[in-house]
Amino acid sequence: MNHSDGHFDEMTGLLYLEGQLDPGRASEVSAHLGSCVPCREIVHALETEGVWLREALAAEDESIPARVIAAPERGTAHWGWIAAFALGTGGAYTLWSSFVEPWLTQASQAGFTQGNLLTMLFFTGAFWKGWDAMRSLTEFMAVATLGTLVIWLLRKQWQRFTAIAFVMGALVGALALPQPVAAADVQHGNPGYTLPAGQEVKTDLIVAAERTRIDGDVDGDLIVFSDSLIVNGHVKGDILAFGAEVRVNGPVDGNVRVWCQSFALDSAVARNAMAWTGASDFNEKSRVGGTLTLFSGATELDGKIGGDLLAYAGDLSIGGSLGHDAAIRGGKLNVGPNAEIAGQTKYKGDHEPEVSPGAKLGSPIQFTLVKRGTDYTRGRYYWHQILYWGAGFLLGLVMLLVMPGFFFDVAQACKRVGPAVGFGALFLFATPIAAIIVCATIVGLSVGLPVLLFYGIAVYAAKIFVGAWLGEQLLGPGVGVGPALGRLALGLAILRGIRMLPYAGPLAGLIIAMWGFGALVLVLHRRISAPPAGGSLSAA
Amino acid sequence: MDRRTTTGTMNDADLAQVLSQVRAGDSDAWGELYRQYAPAIFRFCRRLLPAREDAEDATTEIFMKVRQKLGTYDSSRPFTAWLYKVASNHCWDTLRRRRIRQDLETGDLDTLPLEHPDPSQLERLQAEHTSKEVRTGLARLPDRARMALVLRYYADMSYEEIADTLGVRRAFVGVLLLRARHQLRDALSESGGASALKASAGGTP
Ligand SMILES: [Zn+2]
Repeated sequence: MNHSDGHFDEMTGLLYLEGQLDPGRASEVSAHLGSCVPCREIVHALETEGVWLREALAAEDESIPARVIAAPERGTAHWGWIAAFALGTGGAYTLWSSFVEPWLTQASQAGFTQGNLLTMLFFTGAFWKGWDAMRSLTEFMAVATLGTLVIWLLRKQWQRFTAIAFVMGALVGALALPQPVAAADVQHGNPGYTLPAGQEVKTDLIVAAERTRIDGDVDGDLIVFSDSLIVNGHVKGDILAFGAEVRVNGPVDGNVRVWCQSFALDSAVARNAMAWTGASDFNEKSRVGGTLTLFSGATELDGKIGGDLLAYAGDLSIGGSLGHDAAIRGGKLNVGPNAEIAGQTKYKGDHEPEVSPGAKLGSPIQFTLVKRGTDYTRGRYYWHQILYWGAGFLLGLVMLLVMPGFFFDVAQACKRVGPAVGFGALFLFATPIAAIIVCATIVGLSVGLPVLLFYGIAVYAAKIFVGAWLGEQLLGPGVGVGPALGRLALGLAILRGIRMLPYAGPLAGLIIAMWGFGALVLVLHRRISAPPAGGSLSAA
Repeated sequence: MDRRTTTGTMNDADLAQVLSQVRAGDSDAWGELYRQYAPAIFRFCRRLLPAREDAEDATTEIFMKVRQKLGTYDSSRPFTAWLYKVASNHCWDTLRRRRIRQDLETGDLDTLPLEHPDPSQLERLQAEHTSKEVRTGLARLPDRARMALVLRYYADMSYEEIADTLGVRRAFVGVLLLRARHQLRDALSESGGASALKASAGGTP
C-alpha cells in the first residue's frame, strides 16, 4: 500500500478514516499522519468530503409526497381491497356470462365459427343484446374496476405484455387466415381491376384497387379492398369487401360480409349476409339463405331472407319476406303491404312501427319504445343520478387505493386547464380511430382491443380526476387518503349537478371528459418520457 | 457507529413497544411505525432510484415487505439497520431488474483511480455545490457506485452489510466507495464550477 516515498495512498486514507484498517496498520497510519503534512491534508479532505456527502444526502429539503404519507391507511383499509376484489370477480363473471357466452352462442348460430375473426367481433359486438345491461351501472363499474386492476397488475410487465400481445396477435392472424393466404390470387389494380366475363379464378381472389369489377367467376373467396366494387360473376366462396360502394349482382354460394358506404344486393346469397353500411338496398330479386345481419343507416329490404333478421338500422323498411324471426333496433320501422314475416318480430325504437294492413305477420310486432330526453319529474331519475355519482366515487376510491401516486398526479394535472382540454379533445377522438385502424389490420386485434378497453375506462374515469381536483380547489389541499376521498365526493357531486342541467349538461359532460382525459394523457406522456436516470431528481 | 434515527423521535423503549404491538396485529401501531420511518425510507429510495414515482412505489413496497418480514427481525439489533437492509435489498433488486446502463459497467474494478486529489480543489468543489446539486450528480453515477455511497453515507451501513447487499467481497467495498467518490467529483466538476480535478493528476504529495 505504501508508496515508495513512504506516503500512503488515498484508499488507505479512506479505510483509515472509516475505521476499516486492522489495529496494527491503523497505528502505522496514525503515526505517519502525525509527521506528514501532505497526507494529513488528504485525510482531512476525505473526511470533510464524507461530512459533505452525509449532509447532502440527509438534507430534508424536498417534500414527501402525500401518497407516501397517506400510505399506511392501505394497511388498515382491507375492506378497500375486499371491495376491489369483489368488484373484480363480479366483473369477470359479468364479462363471461353476459359477453363471452352469448357471443359464442350467437356466433355459432350465425354460422361464423370459421369466419373472419374481425367480422365476428364487430358484428356480435354491435348486436350483442347485453349492451343495455352492460350500461347499467354496477356492471360497468365492475368491468371498469377489473380493467383497472388488470392494468395495474400488468403495469410492471407492460413491455413484456405488449410483446406477448403482438406475438399472440400475429399468431391469431396466422391461424385465422391460413388457407386464403396459402392459395390466393392477389391482384393490385392500377388503378382499376376487372375480371373479364368468361374467366374463372380457381383459388381465392384478393383485390386491392380503386375500382373493381368482377364479371368472371371466382371458385374460392373474394376479398376486395376497393372504392367501388361490382360483382356480376358467380362467387363460389365468401365475399368480403371494404369500400365506398358495393354492388353484388351475381350469385354467391357462401357468405357476404361488407363494410361500405352503400351496399346493394341484387342476387342470391346461399348462406349468411351482413352489412355494415351507411345505406343498403336489398331489392326484390335478392335472396339470403341464412341470417341477415345489418348495421345500416337507411335500409330497404325487399328481397327474401331465409333465416333470421338482426338489424340495427336508422330507418328500416321491409317489403319482402322473412323466413324466421326478426330482431330490430332502430329509429323507424316500416312494414310494407307485401311484407311477410313468418316468425316473431321484436322491435325497439324511437317511434311506433308503421305496419301496412296488407303485411302478413306470424305474430304481432312486440314493440318497445325507447324514451329519449330527461324526465325531471320522476324520482327514479334522481335516484339514478345518485347511483351514477356513487359509481364514479367507487371507481375513484379503487383507483386511489390501487394507484394513489398516479391518481394524485392526474388530479393535479387538471389544473393545467388549457393543455388538458386541448389534448383531451384531440385524443378523445383520435384514440378510438387509431385503435380501430389497428384492429382492422387483424394482426393488431390483440393490441387494438385492449387499447379500446383502456380508452373506455379512461373516458369514464376522466370526470373522477376533474372531481378530485375540483374538490381540492374548494376545500384546500389535504394530506392522505381520507381527505382526498372527501374532496373527491364533493367534486363528483358538483360535476353530477352540472351534468343534470338541461341542454348545457351534456356539453359540460363532454368538456369534463376531455379535461380529465387530457390530464391523464399529460401524466402518461410525462411518465413515459421520464428521463432515464435521475433527471427528475431536482424536480422533487 | 451510531445510527441516525432519522426523523424519528421515538426512543428505544417506545420503539420496542410499538414493534411488539405491530407483531400482535395492531394497525394503529403500524401506522405509528410507518409515519415514523416512511419519510426517511422515501428519501433513501429517492436517492437510489431514477424517478420520483419509482421511489414512491418502492417506499410502499418496502413497507409491505417490512410488515410481512417483521417476524424475522432480531430485536437485539438496531431496528433502523434492519429496516435499511430490507430497503436496500429492495432497491438493488429494482435497479438490477431494469439494468440497462449497468451492463456497460466493468464487472470487477480492481483498478483504482491513481491520481490523488488536490485537497484545496476538493474543498472548493465541496463549497461550490449545494446538496441538491450533489444529489443530481449522484443520480448520474452508475447504479452500483450510487448504491455504495447512499448505503454508506445515508443509511450508515457497515462494510459487511454493503458487501452483502451488493454481492461483492467485503474487501472490495472500500474500492467501490473510493471509486464512487471519484466519479461523483468528476460528475460535479464537469457540470460546471470547479475546474476538473484531473488537472492535479500525478500531483502526489
Ligand atoms: Zn505522507
